[in-house]
Formats: sequence, structure tokens, C-alpha cells
Amino acid sequence: MPETNLTSNLHLLLPEFLLATLAFAVFAIDLLLPANRKKLLAWVSVAGLIGLLALALALLWGENEEMYGGLIKVDSYALFFKSFFILLGIFIILSSVDYVGKHLSHPGEYYGLILFSVLAMNVMAASREILTAYVALELMSFSFYIMVSYARYNPRSNEAGIKYVLIGAFSSAILLFGISMLYSTIGVTHFADISATLANAGDASPALWVGLALILVGLGFKVAAVPFHMWAPDVYQGAPLPVTAYLAVGSKAAAFALMLRLFAEAFMPSIDDWQIIVAIIAAITMTVGNLVAIAQHNIKRLLAYSSIGQVGFLLVGIAALSETSPLASNGVMLHIVGYSFTNLAVFVGIIAFFNMTGKEEIADFSGLADRHPFLAAAMAIGMFSLAGLPFFAGFTTKFYLFTAAANEGLLWLAGLAIVNSLISLYYYQVEIRHMYIQPAPDMEGKLEPASAHNPHPPPVGGGAEDASRHSPTPLIIGVLILMVLGTFFVGVYPFPIVEALDAATSAILPGAGS
Amino acid sequence: MPLEAFQVLSAALFCIGLYGVLARRSAVLILMSIELMLNAVNINLIAAAAHMDQTAFTGQIIAIFVITVAAAEVGLALAIILRIFRNRSTVNVDEVDLMKW
Repeated sequence: MPETNLTSNLHLLLPEFLLATLAFAVFAIDLLLPANRKKLLAWVSVAGLIGLLALALALLWGENEEMYGGLIKVDSYALFFKSFFILLGIFIILSSVDYVGKHLSHPGEYYGLILFSVLAMNVMAASREILTAYVALELMSFSFYIMVSYARYNPRSNEAGIKYVLIGAFSSAILLFGISMLYSTIGVTHFADISATLANAGDASPALWVGLALILVGLGFKVAAVPFHMWAPDVYQGAPLPVTAYLAVGSKAAAFALMLRLFAEAFMPSIDDWQIIVAIIAAITMTVGNLVAIAQHNIKRLLAYSSIGQVGFLLVGIAALSETSPLASNGVMLHIVGYSFTNLAVFVGIIAFFNMTGKEEIADFSGLADRHPFLAAAMAIGMFSLAGLPFFAGFTTKFYLFTAAANEGLLWLAGLAIVNSLISLYYYQVEIRHMYIQPAPDMEGKLEPASAHNPHPPPVGGGAEDASRHSPTPLIIGVLILMVLGTFFVGVYPFPIVEALDAATSAILPGAGS
Repeated sequence: MPLEAFQVLSAALFCIGLYGVLARRSAVLILMSIELMLNAVNINLIAAAAHMDQTAFTGQIIAIFVITVAAAEVGLALAIILRIFRNRSTVNVDEVDLMKW
């Protein structure tokens, strides 16, 4: 390896250093605050993240430099995902504030862990070496293990935590064994070196293919692709609601940011060998996810299976990657953005509903449109968008993805994906029918204490909290409006985002000029 | 010894760990089986590093990271298992079944 000056351009990592500092600062401030002032931590985190977003955009715009001898690359792809993850962190924190105040103790660690996971996601999108990517992936997973089991006295949260940590550790072991097989056969770990070796190795050894297959399986567990998905519904149902939202959006987006770079920069030369495997996994994933979702009664489980279906769509984009066309890579990233807005619109609506009623079964949403028309409308828009109806984000992003698949000759996959979108429309309609057509249950149920979910609630302070049982707080309504606007923006006028995506794609696929 | 011998050893150890994960009921024993799988990874990495370029230490460095991450993982998993045991008085994964599809 050539000698490189390791400290020459260290300022390019300033956003990451400051983000870690911010996370530790939140932990430290938590110790000094009295118990009734903990909300301040959320505002500190949000203010810090907004500052970091501005700093990252000002400092890194147009940069294209390798750091630490190629371990990390600061390019437009990393910048795109950095801004995306920081925005996501802001929205998740804002939509957690009410929920955390009511249902969780120890808010300081909660916000700190969100910041650490944002840091890990940033590094995942920037890393160009397998060990670096793995360590970032683990930092993100560890934050999620703790957040999923955060409601300490809730047996469902405990159960979700143990399932997640055991499956997570198991999948890490598989991923690592794949990495070790890869290393022991070709002896390199940088994405660029792997790509060069694969391009020359006409007769690669079976051990190398075992390694690549195990890496694919390990990543499949992380994104919950079928048949490695069985942990997802349980973990989604048991985790505290904002964590479920973060898990559904953030961990998937980050894992796909890593996968996209890995497949585009490292595994591209042998695309003929893995394309069909990824395509088949994509087909099974979306079909199983969407079919099983029909049978669900719990809204979190429904959204878990729906997000498994969305992973299938994203895998269509990975299978359709091409060295010469930016379409598939753009499609994956655009779908991640559109899916995040859309899914957050639905989840924030559910969080607002749960804060008022403490319920999360689909039947409990009956008559919501009469009591809270805006909440119902926002969730309906989100669900129409998830199903892929025109004017909403889901239509535009799926259009990109399926066009890319068709261009690469995967017509059967594109057709199957369209059929799956239709299936998904059915179970979203069921939920929308409950909100708009079914009569409301009697009002007794509505006033049941929100803390029924949690046998040992943290102390709840005073009358302001009681008012929030009857109507959503302005904060959560604000976040909801932003998400709905984002859904329309991506659906109707995605061109500014596509421009940023073109730059990001040309960073990972230099041959794919558009 | 040829590199293949170490690869076979590590693959065998990995499979024993895999069997343990699938067959054990106690969360603690599942965790120990995962440790076996991670040790298989380390054997593979260090053997490969020793057989290749003697001046680069990539394999050993990855192994050290794997050991560190595994230690953190065990700490975290045991904390969650302890929590489950306090609430439910069991750590058998087939008795932790509040949620099913």
C-alpha cells in the first residue's frame, strides 16, 4: 500500500467528528438536567443536526477525495446520503418527543443513540473498504439493539430486543465468514481492488463464490429480505413506535446505501453471476411481503410486511444495476427518499394516534376520519403513495425502478413488481376503509389511559399532558405536514432530487454518464 | 500446512456454531454458538494473512476488530437477556413468544 499522509485532508471528516461530539455532549448534558427538563435534549440534538447539515453542505459540496488510504471516500454519493440521514435523524427526533415523554424513561440515552446511529449511517455510505463498512454497520446495529429494547418494563419490547440482537449477531457472523472467505481467496478488502480482481479472475475458485454468497446472505438478514426476514415483524411490533419508524426507514436506507456502493464499486465485474440471484430474492421478497401483509391485524406488523415488500422493490433496482446506465442506481436512491417521506407520514400519523389512545390494532383506527380528519388524510396519502398511485412519491420512484429493470432485460421482474403493487393496494385500502367508512367505536375506548401499553410508566407531569390525549400536539402535526409535502414533492416534481442523484451515481458508477 | 487445511477447520467450526444457533433453546447458549462462528472467522482470517503477504497485516487487523466488536455484542446481548430474565424468569427463546405471525 502506498504511503499516504493520513492527516492532510482530515477537515473533510469534520461533520462526523462533530456528530460524535454532539452525541457525547447529549449524554453529558443528560446527567446535569433535572428530570422534568429532559425535553431540552431533543432540541439540542435537533439544533446540532441542523448545524451539521449546513456545515456538511457548505464544506463538502463538490468534494471528491479519498481518506485514510482509500478506506473512506468523501464524494457526492456520500454527501447525498449524509444530508439524507441527518434530515431523517431530525424528523425522527421531532416525532419522538411526545412519545418519549409519555412512554419511555431515560430520554438522554435515547437521543444520543439516534445521533450515534446517524453517524454510523454516514460512515456506511462513505466507506469503500469492507472492514470499515462492517464496523459502521455494527455501530448502527448496536444503537438499534438498545433502542428496540428501550421500553425496559414492557415484555414485548424485551422480546423484540432479544430477537433482534440474536438474529443480528447471527447475521453478522455469517457476513463476517463471507468476508473472511473473500479475504482468504483474493487477499484484498478495498472495493476497488475487489473489482479489479473479479474483472481478471475468469476462473475464480468456489471458495470465492461461497464468500460472496455468504456476504449476500448477511446483508439479506440486515435488510430483512425473504427468506431472511422472520425477525422483522416481531421486532417492528415490539419496538417503541418511533424506533419502529426509524428501523423501517433509517436502517433500510443505510443498508441499501452500503449495498449499492458495494455492488456498484466492488461486485460489478461479475454482475452476470449475481444478477439473477438478486432478482430471484427480490421477486420472492416482494411477493411474500405483500401476501403475508394481507393477513395482519396489528398496524405495526402490517407495516413490517409492507416494508419487506418495499425491500423487494429496492432489490429490483440492485439487480438492474448497470455499468453504463445511471437509471437503476438513481431509481434505488429516489425510492429510498420517496419511501422515507411516505413511510414517515404513515408512521407519524400512527405515533400521533398512539399518543392519544395507546392502541395500535388496525380495527382501532375505525372512524378516525370523523374525529381527526387531518390525521386520517395524511395517513391515507402515505398509504396511497406506498401502494404507488400517481401524484404521490411511490408512483414516480417505482416508475424509475421498473423502467430500469425493463431496460436491463428483467421484464418478468418488472411485471411481477407491478402485480405486487396492486396486491399492496388491497391491504392499504382495508386500513383506509377503517379510517373513513367504518363507524367509530364508542368513546369509552378512546379515553383509555395511554400508559396501558406500559405497566410502569414514567411520571407524567400535569394538565398539559392530559390535553394531548384528545388531539395531536402541534409539533407532531408540523412533522406530518412536512412529510405529506415531501411525498407530493417527490411525486410531482422530483427533478431537483434527480439532479443530485445523477451526481451521486456518477461518483459510484463513473461509466454511467447521463 | 496448506491454507486449505485451515479453511476446512474454520468451515467445520462455523458449521458447529451454526448448528448450535439453530438447535439450542437458551439464549445464552445461542450466544455462545455465535461466538464459535466468530472464532471460525478469526481462524480463517489469521491463517489467510499468514499465508499471504507477510508484511501486510490486514487479516490480523480485521481479526482484532472482530474480537472487539464481538465482545461489545456479547455485553449488549447479555444485558437484554438479563432484562428478559427479570421480567419473565426464563431465557429460553421458545418461551419468549408473545408475538407471532
